[in-house]
Amino acid sequence: MTEERESWWRPILLLMFLIAFSMDLFVWQLSGGTEFSSIVERLILGFSLAFGITSFALLLISIGTLHQHARWKEQILGLLILTNLGLCLAYWQMESSIDAVRSEGVMLFSGMTAMLAAVGLVFGLLLALVTGREHIQDPLLELNSTGGDVALELED
Amino acid sequence: MWSLTDPRVGFWLPLALICLATGFWLTDRKDSRKKLSGVTFFASITLIVLFGVNTRGGDTPETALLAVLLHMLGPVTLMAIGSLIATFSGPSPVGPLPRGWRPLGFLMAIGGLFWIGWMLISAPPDSIANGIGETIWGTWVDVFLTILILVAALAGSFCVMMGEARHKEAINLTILTLAGAMMFVEIMQNGSDGLAASGWHQIHWEQMMFLLGGLMGSITAILAFIALVYMAEKRAPDPDVVAPLTEEEKSVVDAVLRLNLELEGIEND
Repeated sequence: MTEERESWWRPILLLMFLIAFSMDLFVWQLSGGTEFSSIVERLILGFSLAFGITSFALLLISIGTLHQHARWKEQILGLLILTNLGLCLAYWQMESSIDAVRSEGVMLFSGMTAMLAAVGLVFGLLLALVTGREHIQDPLLELNSTGGDVALELED
Repeated sequence: MWSLTDPRVGFWLPLALICLATGFWLTDRKDSRKKLSGVTFFASITLIVLFGVNTRGGDTPETALLAVLLHMLGPVTLMAIGSLIATFSGPSPVGPLPRGWRPLGFLMAIGGLFWIGWMLISAPPDSIANGIGETIWGTWVDVFLTILILVAALAGSFCVMMGEARHKEAINLTILTLAGAMMFVEIMQNGSDGLAASGWHQIHWEQMMFLLGGLMGSITAILAFIALVYMAEKRAPDPDVVAPLTEEEKSVVDAVLRLNLELEGIEND
């Protein structure tokens, strides 16, 4: 049984990939396609902007939690460098336009909240379904305790 | 000068303050900053609300985002409350709600999804009907449906793979996947009220790939943060070696233990 369950994630991952690929293929067929270079460009832009914003959020949270025993140098300086790296890269990719950075940042928030809502709905329902399962009563639970008063009958 | 209609003051500053408030909230309970977390959080929310009240949907992308989030608040809240009711009215030992409420919970959760479906076939409000608002709204729906289909299919197939007769769960999640897929196919083929199919295609290619990159970027940033904390902890000096107890200290400890455990009385008996 254990050996069978070891590779459970492979067929599920394959199914996910197939569904995602089918959805894109469907849109591709309806829209007449798009340039592959623009897809990669958007992917990199999203990566650098989200990297910068997430690093900045973690930097602010780290500043908020600082205390006298904290080893802050690596954490704060490291996050500062990562934030600058991500945001500067995104700024450069958007041709140095603050308005474009703001607009894409907003798009990122919109997508992230949608992701959270979808994941929350599915796992909320899954939790409700799983916790609603009726189990066969364990007969051991019906036994009463003797309070340690045990009599053993030894057979010859 | 700075005003509440400026998105840097009314939107981005409150978001930064919410991050700081989270940091304050994570401090030790004796730390004075812990008390500041609630104040900072509510001040941030107030700033965002005032910004939303003082601007209109088409003014800035930030206002359009707030309009979209406000628009989606109803169905998302319905789904969240429905899931909670369904969970806590089951046979779970931590289920204080009446059992009869369980179907209502499921109805509310699925009702939230149908509410979103109804939004797609009805005219959107002015704030999200044109321009950037329309793109943000389209992105929200496209991402929501795509992730819903993928995650529901993942959870359903996981139930099947895990065995133990989880067919009921798998069937329900399959229905959810199919409902999401039907909505996705409909908007991509025929468009929705106010947004043509070509608009949905453009949003799918531009924003889905952007958000896929965004998801990878966020995960990478979190991993980089973990690596930084690991580096900091690894470089921390070893704690000083504490000398073992002297005979005198041992006798004090012994006396304290005897006093508290009342061993002396037992020994005397």
